[in-house]
This record gives sequence, C-alpha cells and structure tokens, in this order.
Amino acid sequence: MPTIAMPEPDLGILARASQIIERLTAVVSAEAVISDPQETRAYECDALAAYRCPPLAVVLPRNTEEVSAAMKVCHEMGVPVIPRGAGTSLAGGALPTADSVVIGIMRLRDILEIDTANRFVRVQTGVTNLSVSAELEASGFFYAPDPSSQLACTIAGNIAMNSGGAHCLKYGVTTNNLMGLRMVMASGEVVDLGGPLLGSGGLDILGVLCGSEGQLGIVTEATLRILPKPEGARPILIGFDSAETAGECVARIIRSGLLPVAIEYMDDVCLRAVDAFANAGYPKCAAVLIVEVEGSEDEVLYQIERIRQVAEELKPVEFRTSRNADESLAIWKGRKSAFGAMGRLGDYLCLDGTVPVSKLPSTLKRIGELSKDYGLEVANVFHAGDGNMHPLILFNANAPGELERAEAFGADILRLCVDVGGCLTGEHGVGIEKRDLMTKQYSADDLAIQMEIKSVFDPDWLLNSTKVFPLEASKPYRDKAVRG
Amino acid sequence: MQTKFSEAQLADPATKRSNEILRSCVHCGFCTATCPTYKVLGDELDSPRGRIYLIKDMLENNRKPDEKTVMHIDRCLSCLSCMTTCPSGVHYMHLVDHARAYIERNYKRRWDERALRWLLSKILPYPDRFRFALLGAKLVRSFRKFVPDARLRAMLEMVPDRIPPASRNDRPQWFLAEGQRIKRVALLTGCAQRALNTDINDATIRLLRRHGCEVVIPEGIGCCGALTHHMGKTDDSHAMAAANIRAIVAELDGKGLDAVVINTSGCGTTVKDYAHMFRNDPLAANAGRVAALAKDISEMIADIGLRDASHAEPLRVAYHAACSLQHGQQIRSAPKDLLKAAGFQVVEPRDSHICCGSAGTYNLLQPAVSAELKTRKVATLEATQPQVISAGNIGCMMQIGSATGIPVVHTVELLDWATGGPMPQPLAEKPELSV
Amino acid sequence: MSIDESAIKALPYPVSPADEAELAAFVGESHARATPMCIAGGGTRVQPGSVEAEHMVTTRNMSGIVTYEPGALTLIARAGTPLQEVEDVLAEEGQTLAFEPMDHREILGSIGTPTVGGMVSANVSGPRRIQAGACRDHLLGVRFVDGRGRTIKNGGRVMKNVTGLDLGKLLCGSYGTLGVLTEVALKTLPLAETEKSLRIAGVTPREALEVFVAALATSFEVSGAAFHAGTAWLRVEGFEAQVDYRVGRLKELLFDREIDVVAHAASRSVWRDLRNVKHLAASEHAIWRILVKPTDAPDVMEALDQLGGEASVDWGGGLVWFSGAAPSVAVRRAVGAGRAILLRCGSLPAADLFPAENSAVAQISAALRKTFDPAGIFNPGLMGN
Repeated sequence: MPTIAMPEPDLGILARASQIIERLTAVVSAEAVISDPQETRAYECDALAAYRCPPLAVVLPRNTEEVSAAMKVCHEMGVPVIPRGAGTSLAGGALPTADSVVIGIMRLRDILEIDTANRFVRVQTGVTNLSVSAELEASGFFYAPDPSSQLACTIAGNIAMNSGGAHCLKYGVTTNNLMGLRMVMASGEVVDLGGPLLGSGGLDILGVLCGSEGQLGIVTEATLRILPKPEGARPILIGFDSAETAGECVARIIRSGLLPVAIEYMDDVCLRAVDAFANAGYPKCAAVLIVEVEGSEDEVLYQIERIRQVAEELKPVEFRTSRNADESLAIWKGRKSAFGAMGRLGDYLCLDGTVPVSKLPSTLKRIGELSKDYGLEVANVFHAGDGNMHPLILFNANAPGELERAEAFGADILRLCVDVGGCLTGEHGVGIEKRDLMTKQYSADDLAIQMEIKSVFDPDWLLNSTKVFPLEASKPYRDKAVRG
Repeated sequence: MQTKFSEAQLADPATKRSNEILRSCVHCGFCTATCPTYKVLGDELDSPRGRIYLIKDMLENNRKPDEKTVMHIDRCLSCLSCMTTCPSGVHYMHLVDHARAYIERNYKRRWDERALRWLLSKILPYPDRFRFALLGAKLVRSFRKFVPDARLRAMLEMVPDRIPPASRNDRPQWFLAEGQRIKRVALLTGCAQRALNTDINDATIRLLRRHGCEVVIPEGIGCCGALTHHMGKTDDSHAMAAANIRAIVAELDGKGLDAVVINTSGCGTTVKDYAHMFRNDPLAANAGRVAALAKDISEMIADIGLRDASHAEPLRVAYHAACSLQHGQQIRSAPKDLLKAAGFQVVEPRDSHICCGSAGTYNLLQPAVSAELKTRKVATLEATQPQVISAGNIGCMMQIGSATGIPVVHTVELLDWATGGPMPQPLAEKPELSV
Repeated sequence: MSIDESAIKALPYPVSPADEAELAAFVGESHARATPMCIAGGGTRVQPGSVEAEHMVTTRNMSGIVTYEPGALTLIARAGTPLQEVEDVLAEEGQTLAFEPMDHREILGSIGTPTVGGMVSANVSGPRRIQAGACRDHLLGVRFVDGRGRTIKNGGRVMKNVTGLDLGKLLCGSYGTLGVLTEVALKTLPLAETEKSLRIAGVTPREALEVFVAALATSFEVSGAAFHAGTAWLRVEGFEAQVDYRVGRLKELLFDREIDVVAHAASRSVWRDLRNVKHLAASEHAIWRILVKPTDAPDVMEALDQLGGEASVDWGGGLVWFSGAAPSVAVRRAVGAGRAILLRCGSLPAADLFPAENSAVAQISAALRKTFDPAGIFNPGLMGN
C-alpha cells in the first residue's frame, strides 16, 4: 500500500451526489459535467499516477462566469473542490478525493490581449504555457517561464505551482513574471488582482496567490510579463566523468560572474533514455551539463570562451557547442522530455528538492550512497544553476513493496535537501507527495500562520484542502469548516 | 504506469502487447497538447491520456465496453500525433487498434451505426463498388439537405463533382523504366483513391519510370486493409492484408522487387505495420518482408534523387503534412525537400502537426469534430496564401479540397509536372496559374 | 554603526530589542495589552504622523550578515543590518542587489541609516526594476515576528522554493503592518562589468515614451529608462564589448534622435541621482510615487502638469514621480487608472499615503492583516486601516 494517506470521504456528501450533480448541470451545460464512473476515472490522478481516486464529478466550464457558478454551487453545498489545469503535476496537486468535484479550466483557452508596448499579455489560464509564446511569435516577444512540461501544462497550473523551468536562472519563475490575475474565490466571488502596473501600492496578494497550489482560489485569467526574444542563443554541452565534478563546475560558473540563461544537469542513466527519444547526440559520460548563453554572435562566443576557461580547469571529457539550430532544438527537446522519456526505463518517482548550489556535489554523492542502500537506481536530471534537483527514483510499480521503498528513499533525499539548507520543493509544489514532510522544514507556528491565511481566502476549507499541509496539522481547520 | 492483468489475461498476445504499452506510459500528459480532438473538445477523455485510461480499465477488467467508452475511442482520429509527442515511446497505435477490435467483438452498436459501418466496409475498399456508389450518390446529392442523419449528409457532401472513369493503369500489368532500369518496384494502387482520383497513380507511374524504375501492378493486389482495420473489423482487414502479402510475395519471389511503393500515406502506415499485424500468424515471415519493402513515394524518390526537375512554374505551394506520413511513418522533410528541389516555394501552415479531420472514414463517422478540424486546417493553410496546396494522402486532399477554392494536388503530381509530366489537372483549370 | 538617533528619539519610548526572542516577547506582551507600535529599521522612511503608536520599535540592534555565499548567489542578513554594509560586502565579491534600492534620505530629508529590513518592508526598487525585477523578486526567505509574538520562518535561501505559501511576498511592501522582520534572505547577482547610458535631450514626455517602447522591445536588455526635464535616458550594462555593441545598435534604432553617450562612472552617477529622485529633493511640496501603465505616462504627465509642480518618469514609463501642492484627490484623479502613493506628505495628511483598494481586495487585505496582527498593534493607521 502506498504510504500517503488521504482522509475518508464525507459520506454525507456522497449521499447527496445526485443533487450536487443536478445543481452543477443547471449552472453549466450538461456536457460540461462528467459524473459517469467510467468517465470520472480518467480524472483520478495527474502525473503522479501512483495515487488515484476518481472524484464525485468533473466540471469543465467555458468561462470565468461558469467557474464562478460551479464554485458557488459547491460552496453552498459544502463540497470540496479540486482545481485542475492540464493534470501534469508530479506532486499529486490535482489528485481528487471521492467526495470532491474537479473544476478543470482546460476549456478557457483564449488569448485576450497582447500589448507589446506595455510588455504584457492577458490570457485565459487554460492556455498552455508554450502556446502563449507561440501566440507572441510574430511580435518578437516571449513568455519566459519554461517548465519542462510547457507543451502541455496550463498557465493556471503554472501559477498554482509557481512553475520555474530551465531558463529561470536568468528570467525568474512564474511569480516574477505574473502581473495580475482574475480569480474565483471559494465563495464563487470573482476578484481581480494587479494588472499592467508594476505594483499596486497595497499588500502583495498576488505574491501569495502564486504558488498556493489551488488552496486560495481558481485563477481564470492572468496578465503576464513578456520579454523581447534574445538575438540568439546557443547551448553548450560539457561532459564530466563524475557527478561531483559536474556539480563543482556549476558552482564555479556561477561564481565566475557570468550568468548563463540556463545550466542543466543530466546523468548517464537519464541520457540513455533521453537520447533514444531526442537523438541529440549527448556526450556519453557520467554527467553532462547543458549551459545556454544568449546574445548576438559575438556576445555568445565571448561567453562560451569564458565558460570554457572555467570548465577546463576541471578537465571535462567533452566540451562542445551546438552546431546549428536543429541541434540546439534536439538538445533542448531531450532535456525537456527527460521525465517522460524515463518511462522507457520503467516507473519512477520524480523529486524536486532544492539545495544551495555549493551543496550540489556533496548532495549528489549522498544520493548515490542512498541509492545503493535502498537498492534502487536513481537518475538525476535537474536545473543545476539554481540547485533545483530532480532525482528520479526508478522502481517497478507492478512489484509489491517497491513503491513504498522508493517513497522512503525519496523522503530521505528530501530530508537531506532540507538539512543542507535547501527546501522540499523548488517548482513542483508540495501536493500530497511532500505534504507529510512539511514539518521537517517548518515549525508548528510556521505552518499555523499559513493555514490561517488559507482560512482568509477559503474559510470552509473547500479548495484542495487535503494537500500541502500535513493532515494532522490541518485537521482542526478542516473539522471546523462547516460541511453543508 | 502500474497495471493489473492476471497471468491468464497476459497469455493472450494482444493483451500482453497492450500491457507492455500501458507499462511504458508515465501519465505525463504531454500527449494531450498535440491531440486534435482534445484541442476541439477540451475534455481529457477525448485525449490520448484519457483514452489510454479508458482502454486500460476496459481491458484490465475484461469489461464489456460501455457507450461512453466507445464514444471517446470512436472520436480518436488515429492521427498518431500523440506518438510523435510521447517521450516515453508509448505505442498508442497498437493500443487503440486493440481497443477497437475489442469493441467490435464485445459491443453491439445501434442498428443504424452498425449498418453504416457495414456499408462503408463493404464499399470503400472496393474501387468498382465505390465508383458505382459515388455515381449513385451524385444523383441524389442535391437532396442532401433533407437527409436527417449528419453522417449520411457528410457522405453526400464528400462526393466530388467529377468522378473519373476507371484508369487502365490500375489494372495488373507492368511498365518499363525509361532509360536504364535501376529498380523494380510494385505499386499499391489503393482502393478508394482509384475511384476518386486516377491522376495520382498515373503521375506516380510516370514519375517512377522517369526515375529508372520498372513498375509492377501485381496480380491480386487490392485494399491494404487500413479502412476496416480502423473500424476494428480485423477479420476483414487481415483478409485484405493477407491477399496483398501473397500478391507481393509472389512478385518478390518471381522477378524480384526492390520496394513496394505507396502513394496514399494512410495505406503506407498500415502496410509498414503488417509485421505486427501478422506477428502471431503463419504469414508472419512474409508479412515482415513486405513491411520492410514498403516505402512512401516521397521516400522512394528521395532515395533515388530527383532528376531534371526544371519543367514546372515556381508556384507557392502550401505543404499539408498528412498525419499518416508525419506521425504514422515519421516522414517529415522528404516531401518538402523534394518540392523545393523541384523549384517550388514551399510554405507550411501553423499547427502543421494537427490533423485536417479526414482520417480515413472519420469524416464520415464523426462529422462534427471533423468539420471543425477542417475549418481550422483550411484557415491556417489559406493564411499562407499559397497558389496550390499539396498533400501525400487522398483523404486529406478530399477533405481540404471540399472547403477551399485553392487547388489541392498530390505531391507526386507536382513532382511529375516538374520532371516533365503534364500540369496537374486542378492547376490547368486555373488559367491564372498557367504560363 | 551610524544609526541616527534623532528620528527614533522623536517618538516616545523607543524600543530596540537585542534579538529575535526579545522582540517576540515584547510583541507578545503588546499583543496581550493591545498596545500599538510604530515599526522602523533605521527610521529613514517613516513619515511623521502616519502611525498612531505608543512605542517605536526598531530592529537596529538586530544587525549583521548571517551568511553570504557568493557561489550560491545568496545573502542572509538580520533585519537591522545597514544596507550600506550589505552593499559593501557584495561589492567586494563583484556582486550586487540587482533591484537597485533607492536611498530615500535625499527626498525625505531623513538622516537615519537605511536597513535591509526597511528596504524589504517597503519593497524598495530602483530603475533596474524594469529589467531585474523588484525587491520582492529577489527575496528568498524571511523570519519575522507576527502580531501574536510568534516567530515565523518562511521561504528559505534557495532560488526556487514553492514549499508552502509565499509569505515573504506579503511581508515585502507591507510597511510593517503584518509583522516585524528579523531576518531576510536575498538573491544576489553579479555586478555588471561596465555600463553606458544614452542621453536623448530635448524630448517631450510623449517622445520619451516612444523611445522607451522602442528600446524596451529590443533584446539589448536596457536596464534603465527614465525621463526628466526634457531628457530621456537609457542604460545598458554588461561586459565592455557587449555594452558598446548594444549602444551602437540602440543608436541605429533611434537614428532620428540626437544622442550623447555617457560612460562608466558618469553614467553611474546619473542613475544614482535618478534612482534617488534627487531632482525633487529641493521641492517643498508633497512627493508622489505613481505607478501607471507605461503608455499612459504621457497623459498622466500632462494631467499633472495642469496641477502645477514637477514630474519625471522612470521604469520606461511605468513610474511617474511628482511633486506639487495639489491636494491628494486632485492628484489621484489626474493619474486615472494609475496608483498614486504619497511618499512625502508635505502639507498633505498622512492618512493619504496609500491609495484605496477596490472593495474585494480591501476586504482580503483587512482580513490578512487581522490574521497576522489580530490586536491591530502594528503600524495602525498605515495602509488603509
């Protein structure tokens, strides 16, 4: 049995299922409500497929008004709500409970406004991350945060998890590129925060919304900062014969005063799977760094030379720059598909702990030791420039007991991350996956004030309430909340 | 992904294969992004990830297919865009084919649906019957707005204005190479295509001969089986495929063959999969030989190298990538490279990876989704302001051609023209395009 | 340490706890007795009369850099650490706080020592805001004491962190209304090797905005775009050859304008003055900091001009500075959809400091404040309370 527990469903809600569905169907169109048990099954999990539970119903509204109407029904009837974007969460952020209604925003897909003079774009949040930049293609601008799942993940999910990506070393994560939003509150009320201005002069509520994992509201529209595309960009591949040397190289590059756009790390296990998909011709060695620099041709060459000087002190087994645009595409395609491609090797758990860059070499070493202790292979692929690690623990989901062993291994890695000064999750969110480890990073008071803030937005604890906070800690809040 | 099949279930080769496929899926959701039906309908149940889930549940539990599951699987175009996108290499095609066959065996469709599918499976793969049906349909076409069933209406709307007489070139025979013979190839002349458009095979034969190929139309060759295969009618499709395998092997073991050339990419995808279709059949070895020889016409010409391509006008050509070519066979650059080498200016529409909605019989069975995809595809194609649209699959040509005034031709027709053949008929009808 | 005593002594009962525990105990007691307090770092930004309190609490004794790891681009400092100390330590390693915090002393006429805690509390961000982001974008983690006297930790010291709700963002720019900061973790960045500025004289606000829109749509990473007294300024930073290249390209782009180039130290001096809004320091009137949509800036400038006074622009049009005698209502009407924050009251009432929020946002803000500070003891009267 998997080790992460979910609370028992509220039998009172289950008993009222047909009334709930009837009322939902009355406020959105009938085809927007899914309640057939065969169909709700497809919404029983996200990309953390080890945990599954079909919801009571799924609602797929077409606009903010319908989201608000559905939320109002759930609020009035005391039904928990699970907001869902594209369901690409690796932390179980969109995992339903049996007594919950999933509100999916994937049909809200309009680009509402492109304003290059003021450098923002306003979109409905069901658009995918990549399609925002695709819409901007002709204008010469782009939207910077680029989570690896950017092809599929929605802006709503990006806001919920404060998503990062490979290029946030230079451009920042979602919170640094989010200017405003329209949100449906737990009560169904619609609230606008921020907008095209660079600040509000009031409390930065936008700041606490971003990364709140669907706990505070359902974001239906967003104003995003956009940037002019760089003149050019080129990835460099640097291969090392040990993980620790590669980690050391990262720290030295950062220390050198250069700030590449991205520094990514992939080890040999990962490279094996990825190259089968992307054919990028990565070096064959223990660890490879992808370092990307941007600018004009001269600027690019200058930076590459500086990086070469830093890297060569560490005797890399290979140092080569991408030869052309196609090769650059393949290099990035491989990196961005790494999680999916790992499926070629088997089932895996993907972690997201972050450590100070200077602690990368020692952390990698310790993960290697733990891997031997647990007898489970681990692949490392991550955003090295900002210390955001993604160890992928390989296991066989069909073999009894292996998931539990992998989870224990994962918990050990995350505790290690916190011990060396890092955190449990850099960009995937706590979800259910890291929920019970929160007490490792935070004291009872640290957690209490966060839960009190949730109560401000969602007094009845309807929104994604079984995530983020350890169940034991959140129980008083959830119990206090009135259930219709 | 974790699966729950019993040992007994895994003893069935089809289930064993599906289990392997499901095990390789990590539920990452990338596939949703490039799925045309998900783009149109916005429900995960109409995306590969949702369908994989439905199929998994149905197969694991030996469950009788329910109406909803069948609806979502029926809505799949089998465009295989998801297979191009999938990083972990999930073989969705084999999975959905298994599901379709399972549904065909275990689910009783409504009488009208059954009748329609039976009709399509008994007409489309047979050129003579199809030609006869087209002529009949043309007569009643003007009454189509009185037809209550959207699917029947869609069929009548698809009937082209001009139904060509049967071409003599499609009969079993062989054509000598022009100049020195460098290859001997068999041409799969297709089924529906032969009734709808005889120019494509004519152009293909001329183009191949001009490139040193002796072209054989083998005795006994017919429909590749794809049309019925995608309806889950595996008995029919295997029978057709088996006939083709025998016909080609006879030729192969006789005078020998260097390739089996296919100019309808939908068929190409299926013929290349014969090895898998017959993996548990006495025909396995021969099926493998045929599959290994199968080549799309664009692959074939690219292998030989385009010769003396200086005879056509340098028109602006919008290249429409047929899904069966770009996703099914992973052939992306060859047709464009050939068109460019032939002097055309090649442009591509936005979202070129998305299906036009034709998808075999899909436009007949799922008219609403198909029409929406057609509208989107034609809009993106027209936005490139081309003088002509080129595609490598008859289905796409019919689908796109029914919604635009821009001429739509097969890529081989342009290549044939450029290398000395006649100007393609749809272009010749546009005097503003001729010299 | 050179914290100015006069600003602090001006208020009754200055309290300067020695450490977090002492502060927590004091706040806990104040919470129990519901005695309000005015919170200050070095006291350089407190507007007299803006807070009704019995005590002034300063964090000046909680000072010192806790950790600085140049290789990890992070610095942790106690809230009362003088900003100058931080900047000096960073400069030694060739790094900086990229958001370029302004020094308010010139325009406020205050003489205290700015602290990192005060900087974070007011989300102080200078001209580089348009390119590098604001202070809030560089804040990695905080420790603070809430209104119940609980010591809270949030965030951490790593660049990426979504472990729980991001309270740092709420604290940043809350002007001490939610908690008393005791420690902040900041992201540091490499200092540019050099910089150059383009000076475009004799332009109207509207022409300046056209220049900004054009320059900020390029890939040349313009890190400053300001306008004052008929002159528009653009700044480019980087390594020598890069800066020259980018200046050249920008000159090509703005070929129809007359452009001088100001380099290195001279450029730095220009931007220091622009950052500190030195040109308004001599004004005797109220000083306003107005956030607008960049393309609205020329209209706002015109409307403000009608009121009489002096205005300038920063952030490529996104920030308008204004000093004039006009009443608050008139200024706020003139800025339309913009948000006008009163930085120096002059003769205007301190109650006008912050713009009103729409009712839904005001409700959330009030509820948040009540959550952090149930007894209402932190800076009562400030920020729409």
